[in-house]
Amino acid sequence: MVDTDAYADWESVYRDNVDRLYRLMYARVGNRPDAEDLTSEVFRTALGPLRMASSKGEVRSYLLTTSRTVLASHWRRTLGHPVTSIDPEADAAYLAEPSGSDQPSDAPQRAGKILDALPDRYRRILELRFLEACSIKEAAHAMDVSVSNAKVLQHRALRMAAQVTLELGQ
Amino acid sequence: MTGRRLSAFIDALVAGRRPGSYRADEEDAEILRAAITLRAARPGDAKPDDQFVADLYQRLADEAGPDQAPVADIRPIRLPRGRAALVSVAAGLVLVGGTAAVTEALSSTSLSPAAVQAPHGNVVRTGTFETADGRVMGQIVAYRGNPSWVFMNVGGSNYEGTITCKLQVDNGTTVAVGAFDLRGGTGEFSRNIQVDIGKLRGAKLVNSAGVIVASATFA
Repeated sequence: MVDTDAYADWESVYRDNVDRLYRLMYARVGNRPDAEDLTSEVFRTALGPLRMASSKGEVRSYLLTTSRTVLASHWRRTLGHPVTSIDPEADAAYLAEPSGSDQPSDAPQRAGKILDALPDRYRRILELRFLEACSIKEAAHAMDVSVSNAKVLQHRALRMAAQVTLELGQ
Repeated sequence: MTGRRLSAFIDALVAGRRPGSYRADEEDAEILRAAITLRAARPGDAKPDDQFVADLYQRLADEAGPDQAPVADIRPIRLPRGRAALVSVAAGLVLVGGTAAVTEALSSTSLSPAAVQAPHGNVVRTGTFETADGRVMGQIVAYRGNPSWVFMNVGGSNYEGTITCKLQVDNGTTVAVGAFDLRGGTGEFSRNIQVDIGKLRGAKLVNSAGVIVASATFA
């Protein structure tokens, strides 16, 4: 009899979780190259000692715990500060059912809350840069300011966004 | 605050590049936390690239090796050097099927060059590519999963250039899986397939002129 609450093999573990684990890492580092490296590191670290007799929930919990360690090491190596983190309990929803590439992300809601709390020009510069992928020159042109002014505007907007992020507890 | 390095980090984030490393202070960390939250909301990059998923799978399969099979089911394996890579893949796949049937089948020293025995339930099927004059040119592994896929490697060939793999199904039809390049007579290829692997009969490698370079029979 096959236990449907357990994975049959490492390949099932991989197929079921790679998409979601990548999304979690991407949400924590904000760029594809690092998200791919960290996702790889989690699987390469976790799959060896993994016990296939464990339930799916236990396997996912183990993956999340490994992810937390891998992400913490990443920040220690790159910036010397834990910029973002993974909480195996609070972030359990990332690896929970349902699976699939159409899994909704809460990233737009999180970003929306931050942007909504900013003055118009601060919000606009950050939308142009982070959501619309504009270069600083393009953003300056769109806002009809000099490139230097756009840089200052972006910096001030990010400082305020950081304060809002703290207040929101994100 | 370390302004220039912080700006460079943010520019990389916006551009989708890997940001550089530096010693950030607490204020930088707070700004970067907000920047990452905003960047993660941009549509597109939140979904993993298909090629990344396939490549990582392959690396994990290569690293899994025979030692990941259940210890009680492992038997000594002595194989021709050319099959070592396939055994590594197949042994990883043994774990997939929860059985060591492939390992056991490969443990025989009187291994037939044509094909090896399929494990229970046809979870994995393997075959050996041979040229018309009987030279072993590579191996193919088909795996039933969600999705199912095939992996093949070719070595020791004199052929250079693009080669197409065609799968033969037991109802007589042929399905082209895809094309890949042989360089220096070697190459690898993997692809998801829609075919029921239990119904696969064999595979052919066909050159750009339509000539069959090698063929394999699934056990």
